[in-house]
Amino acid sequence: MDRILSNIRTLQTPVLLIVLLAIVSGLASLTGSDAMATTIAEMMIRVVVVVGLYVFIGNSGIISFGHISFMCIGAYAAAWMTAAPTFKQIMLGGLPAWLQTEQYPFLVAMAFAAVLPAIVGLALGGAITRLGGIACSIATFAFLMITNSVYANWDSVTAGVSSIIGIPTLVGPWVAWVFAGVAILAAWFYQISRHGLMLRATRDDPVAAQASGINLVKARLGAFVLSAALVGLGGGLYAQFLGILTVDPFYLGLTFITLAMLVVGGMSSLTGAVIGVIGVTIIVELLRMFERGSMGPITLPPGSQELGLGILMALILVLRPTGLSGGRELKLFGRSRPAAPAAPEAAQAAPAE
Amino acid sequence: MQAPPARHAPPLDRPGASDDAELGVENLTVRFQGLAAIDDVSLKMQRHEIFGLIGPNGAGKTTLVNCLTGFQKPTEGRVMMAGRDITGWAPTEFRRHGIARTFQAGRLFPEMSVLENAEVTGVGLGQSRRTAQAEAKELLDWIGLGDKLDVPASALAYTDQRRLGIARAMMLSPAFVLLDEPAAGMSDSECEDLMEIVQAIPKAFICGVLLIEHNMRVVMGICDRIHVLDGGKTLAEDVPEAIQRHEAVMAAYLGMEA
Repeated sequence: MDRILSNIRTLQTPVLLIVLLAIVSGLASLTGSDAMATTIAEMMIRVVVVVGLYVFIGNSGIISFGHISFMCIGAYAAAWMTAAPTFKQIMLGGLPAWLQTEQYPFLVAMAFAAVLPAIVGLALGGAITRLGGIACSIATFAFLMITNSVYANWDSVTAGVSSIIGIPTLVGPWVAWVFAGVAILAAWFYQISRHGLMLRATRDDPVAAQASGINLVKARLGAFVLSAALVGLGGGLYAQFLGILTVDPFYLGLTFITLAMLVVGGMSSLTGAVIGVIGVTIIVELLRMFERGSMGPITLPPGSQELGLGILMALILVLRPTGLSGGRELKLFGRSRPAAPAAPEAAQAAPAE
Repeated sequence: MQAPPARHAPPLDRPGASDDAELGVENLTVRFQGLAAIDDVSLKMQRHEIFGLIGPNGAGKTTLVNCLTGFQKPTEGRVMMAGRDITGWAPTEFRRHGIARTFQAGRLFPEMSVLENAEVTGVGLGQSRRTAQAEAKELLDWIGLGDKLDVPASALAYTDQRRLGIARAMMLSPAFVLLDEPAAGMSDSECEDLMEIVQAIPKAFICGVLLIEHNMRVVMGICDRIHVLDGGKTLAEDVPEAIQRHEAVMAAYLGMEA
């Protein structure tokens, strides 16, 4: 009985978050519009990406500007597996034969979309997690630029600046929801594992963490690889949601909006990552409606959406630097504690100030 | 004070595993851009004693502790444990081989709970979360923080933060623990409470204590031997009674306080 209760307490946060997403998705589908279904599917995909970002940024405290590269790598990995062989043989002559002539099932493609970025993340992370702090952040930004120019110019495998077409569009709101759930659970189990605990210690104080026997590079690298895999999975879903793929979306715009989601929600909790995606999506959609003039008499000029998001982020940073979640996790039951025996010292110990 | 938990069981492959192992430095020199912070110092401490390290500000005490825990690479000289040259090891290796420390500024993990602060050392040294938690609870009970396990470390009172720093260092019973001014900024009575804990460490954990402390009454009261540094050089090393009568020490250090 105790064990069951403690399992409920342990799992309540991810379960509540997954339920919350289902409710948002359910409410939105009541409108029955196609546009709304598209928005919801995109939001779920962004949950996968932002939760992936959170695994590294939230637990290590190091900002990465390069994770959208992993999304790009994952998206192309999925496209290589599932695009029509006739197209691949004509346009993507540089692909190995096993990719060029075959068309793989959806789940295999998703696995590849997670594994390939993880391998790249392992190679890259081995080098840059040694840096730490702002140097590491700048190195991730360099990685974003490198990936973007490689994918934009490697014509024989990415079709360069033209697009890959004929990717089966299998991802709708509910399929994306399932993957969002997978990402949330993966992030949660990482967070409560011994590796997550060690990484948070390095975030709080890297020097003291070493005195506790923690290897900084190993602790950061584990999270970096998992985070690359999750963001890559988000990319794979995105490819199979759009059906057509170019390199353009995987750059500064998406980097900014996913980081904005994490900051608005609160980057030091998983709840923050999920709430941030929902909150920012709602605000962006509202602003878009105003821009289109579909909200009655008030019509905002084009560009209000970006402006509004910028202002929101600035307000959050000033008024609530720990984000909407305040760095806390969503919980229904508190942690049960055995009645604490009064410590003999507690009575005497007076605060120094 | 209740009896501390007895769970002294060091792994056999640790160089410090035997109870009479020694930790020390030989002809240690550390220069920062030509300026010697430590100049040809040698010392040795045992697992059963409290070894005081005193000297005026800037004497090189913290630099010496940094060398003894891998946070500072010596310019010359060697760091030795149990007859083995361990100069140049990384801080994590020092900790894995049973040399633990606390920091002058506390350096707790502010956003983590009291329990997690201690637990993470066990985890960092290879324990599972469950095992580490059990050991951490036992230690925190002993040190008087048993009723604050879920409090974030940043919310602790100053004296409690220092206790937590010590509990964190004592996870998995190190062979040596180096305490860098654990009682700095405390009142006399708070300091005495803390020193009761420090005094219990050698017997309870079979663990040698190196103590940096400015309160002379405390140092003279609980240390078995005292090493005096001044300007990076050794001024004297002896039992407290002899140090108190040592002329150069009186002039260089104690005299300044009078």
